[in-house]
Amino acid sequence: MNRSLLRAYVAAAAVLAAAPLALDAYWVDVLNNVGLYALLALSLNIILGDAGLFNMGHAAFYAVGAYTTALLNTRMQLPILWALPVSGLVAALFAALVARPVVHLRGDYLLIVTIGMGEIVRIALVNDVFGLTGGANGLFGISRPSVFGYRIRRPQEFFYLIWLFVALTVFLFHRLEQSRFGRALNYLREDPVAAEGSGVDTARYKLMAFALGAAWAGMTGSLYAAKMTIISPESFSFWESVVLFLIVILGGSGSIPGVILGAFLVVGLPELFRGFASARMLVFGLVMMVMMVFRPQGLLPLRTVRFKKSDVAKAEVAP
Amino acid sequence: MEQFFQQLTNGLAVGGIYALIALGYTMVYGVLKLINFAHGDLFTYGAYLGMTLLTSLFLQDRLGAVAGFLVLAVMVMGLVALFGVILERAVYRPVRESHRLAAVVSALGASIFLQNTLMLIYGARFQVYPDDVLPRVAVNVLGLEIPLMRIVVVLASVVMMAVLYFFVQKTTIGTAIRATAIDQGAARLMGIDVNRVIRLVFLIGPALGGAAGLLVGLYYGQVNFTMGWLYGMKAFTAAILGGIGNIPGAMVGGLLLGVIEALGAAYLSTAWKDAISFIVLILILIVRPTGLLGERVADKV
Amino acid sequence: MKRVMGLALVLSLLGVGSARAADTIKIGLMAPMTGSWASEGEEMKKNVELLASELNAKGGLLGKQVEVITEDDGGDPRTASLAAQRLTTKGVVAVIGTYGSAVTEASQNIFDEEGIIQIANGSTAVRLTEKGLKYFFRTCPRDDEQGKVGAATLEKMKVKKVALLHDNSAYARGLADEIRSHLKAKKLDIVFFDALTPKEQDYSAILTKLKASGPDVVFFTGYYPEAGLLLKQKKQMGWNVPFVGGDAINNPDLVKIAGKDAAEGFQFLSPPVPRDLDTPEAKAYLASYTKKNGETPGSIYGLLAGDGFRVVAKAIEATKSTDADKLREYLTTGLKDFPGFTGKIAFNVKGDRIGELYRVYKVDKTGGFVLQK
Repeated sequence: MNRSLLRAYVAAAAVLAAAPLALDAYWVDVLNNVGLYALLALSLNIILGDAGLFNMGHAAFYAVGAYTTALLNTRMQLPILWALPVSGLVAALFAALVARPVVHLRGDYLLIVTIGMGEIVRIALVNDVFGLTGGANGLFGISRPSVFGYRIRRPQEFFYLIWLFVALTVFLFHRLEQSRFGRALNYLREDPVAAEGSGVDTARYKLMAFALGAAWAGMTGSLYAAKMTIISPESFSFWESVVLFLIVILGGSGSIPGVILGAFLVVGLPELFRGFASARMLVFGLVMMVMMVFRPQGLLPLRTVRFKKSDVAKAEVAP
Repeated sequence: MEQFFQQLTNGLAVGGIYALIALGYTMVYGVLKLINFAHGDLFTYGAYLGMTLLTSLFLQDRLGAVAGFLVLAVMVMGLVALFGVILERAVYRPVRESHRLAAVVSALGASIFLQNTLMLIYGARFQVYPDDVLPRVAVNVLGLEIPLMRIVVVLASVVMMAVLYFFVQKTTIGTAIRATAIDQGAARLMGIDVNRVIRLVFLIGPALGGAAGLLVGLYYGQVNFTMGWLYGMKAFTAAILGGIGNIPGAMVGGLLLGVIEALGAAYLSTAWKDAISFIVLILILIVRPTGLLGERVADKV
Repeated sequence: MKRVMGLALVLSLLGVGSARAADTIKIGLMAPMTGSWASEGEEMKKNVELLASELNAKGGLLGKQVEVITEDDGGDPRTASLAAQRLTTKGVVAVIGTYGSAVTEASQNIFDEEGIIQIANGSTAVRLTEKGLKYFFRTCPRDDEQGKVGAATLEKMKVKKVALLHDNSAYARGLADEIRSHLKAKKLDIVFFDALTPKEQDYSAILTKLKASGPDVVFFTGYYPEAGLLLKQKKQMGWNVPFVGGDAINNPDLVKIAGKDAAEGFQFLSPPVPRDLDTPEAKAYLASYTKKNGETPGSIYGLLAGDGFRVVAKAIEATKSTDADKLREYLTTGLKDFPGFTGKIAFNVKGDRIGELYRVYKVDKTGGFVLQK
């Protein structure tokens, strides 16, 4: 990443590190939620932004991670921080399994299939599948994470846990962008046929993108479960998937800082406007429509901008 | 065995509604390659508009039951069609040149906007249609009691589909629609006013959706502002099941989905009813993505 | 760089806005103002605000005016936990709310840790008061009490085969489970136990399946919109088996949705509806509510919220303090037979409301709810 971006990150980190000292518990908790959504959006960004796979069922991976942690913790007394990577792994395996038969589908169709899968997961959770998920009641009594004996309980404490994880994720994902894997994903997003022709095994990379994105979403689910101590299917609805999808698109598909900014806006702004609760959603819808007309590439897009068909046409005609 | 036939008729009746809504989806997708997420909300608008018109204009008293109903239907369809055209012009036209994703996000935004506008206007609670608008007669067919209205709903769907099918196959403008669906660029080169065709599609599709909304409101009696989501999803599944872009396919898909749902509820579990629909969707897309009757749009490589 | 400065600015502005002065006693109300239960939230707010303004007109509490601070919990746990956090930063003495067991549960620990009394009005899941939380109370009954009464009602109807239908929500499923366990003990035959999908319109498939299982009575534990549709469609099918419902059915819109002839004869369990309350205070309150809002209160949960408010006000008055421990002490031991709008209120040490609350109601042919003895 370039110097100015690095400077921006350091400055943001400094401000955030000081935030819990200046803000009350409520606003810290809002920032916690921003952090969780940023993590989820970053994980979706791998699938949607980098690989260009239309996934609107991301909440399902989040749910799998959260429920895995909840089950391991309440039934087998596994401490949260041990359950975290396990949840990520389970979510990744789940993603690989369900994505395999559908990963070759064309854009819009994949979108619909992922919506369907998200809904199926939610319905399964509500119906207490295998007697494990607690149905609509969900699972409760999840313990808090403890680091070397120190129990993380208050919003301020969770703040540091979540945002350290965010920082780690940002670092890792930027490295990923530059790596061979990241470049392969970009390639298959831009032109799958050429990519395949150049020897990129598109199916395999697509699955890997799904698995990686799911793994991160699963781990975030783990943090969420520990923070709320109760989880229920309502938190993993289609609407959640839509919100994540929007954060990625509105922030700038494929762009890590864009996605983080998107999380701040999409989660933070409604909290600022709590007074106008019912109009909130209306404005949301309006913003979506307007953004797509005036700035479809998102707020902080990657430096490469897509060309509109009409521009290409014009360029071809020019002498 | 009686339960089987009863469930069959239940499924067909619900399927008729899915089919009507699916026709709107399939037409728009065929021509624009766009999943109009807001279509389900146009359906909801049909239901609400019907209710408002019914309670404020007293058409039944003035014109008698049948004429009143037809006038109401025409008004509702007309209004929803108008909304459809406005939607196209204001939301979809500007993003037509952009990436697919932009259109998807716009469509979602439009859906959210429409739903919440409705909620703000009518309130969050359920709204109820006036009782006794439709005759509560049941017909005895082969030993089963079937309410007359359910048969009317299925017939209405079939009739509208048939009319639409002939329109698209046999008239000039219908051919223009089909041409635009196959290749917009070529159609334009052939002198077809593509904007006009798209406008027409956004007139017909939403009109049918609005009619479905009116029928649902009249028959079930209760409407709420989120009903578009579930119906829309099922209708879209139906469209895919039959073959997206394919008009008879939407009909077949709708009826079939209704029946699968009803039988699934009866013989498996009612709690998993919706999951069954989604599983059907996913299976079709994996096994036969062009749908049962085949897709009528050109495939992008 | 610009972005970071902007962020810093925003954060600092936010930090400023928290503290509030003013010499009032603040009572929080956590309610679903948006989301699926917005209509309940609306009524909760109307009830509590009316009671607060009446109280203020009489001089307030301990010489200070009462201020009601409402936060929207959106009907979902995550928004609720944020709403709860927000309320704790506003200096509230107690919180009324909320509706929905999972939603309330998300807020319980937050209030308990901050030492704020919470009185829930619409959360009937048994486990909420089984966690040993000191400051949590509820004016609504628990699912196990309703389960007991439900089973007893069915027994009184002298039926042999019972069908249980729920909608997979935490409340309905819980109630259905409770009734089932009581029925098993009474050796009644349960021929059907399944769920419908809420917010759908067409229940013909489920009704047909229910009919095929041949029950003598069907107990539906879900909410009134679905109940209305079930009754209407069952009538259309020409099926005459009696239906019974739980307290989430208690809403005048039930008859509107089902239609008068379909709703006639339907029975349901509920705490007493406003009309059947015969204390002079209750009648006076109903009159003033109707005057202010143009209609009588529709939801029992709105009234339960009102009762929650009154109980807190009484506790503050009686203990002459706003200290949570003193209030708790009073509520669990000092409050006896408080004349609530929904009946006499007293709490046990777990925070549950004592006393048998549930009555059986039947819908008559004009669509009115008639209390059965």
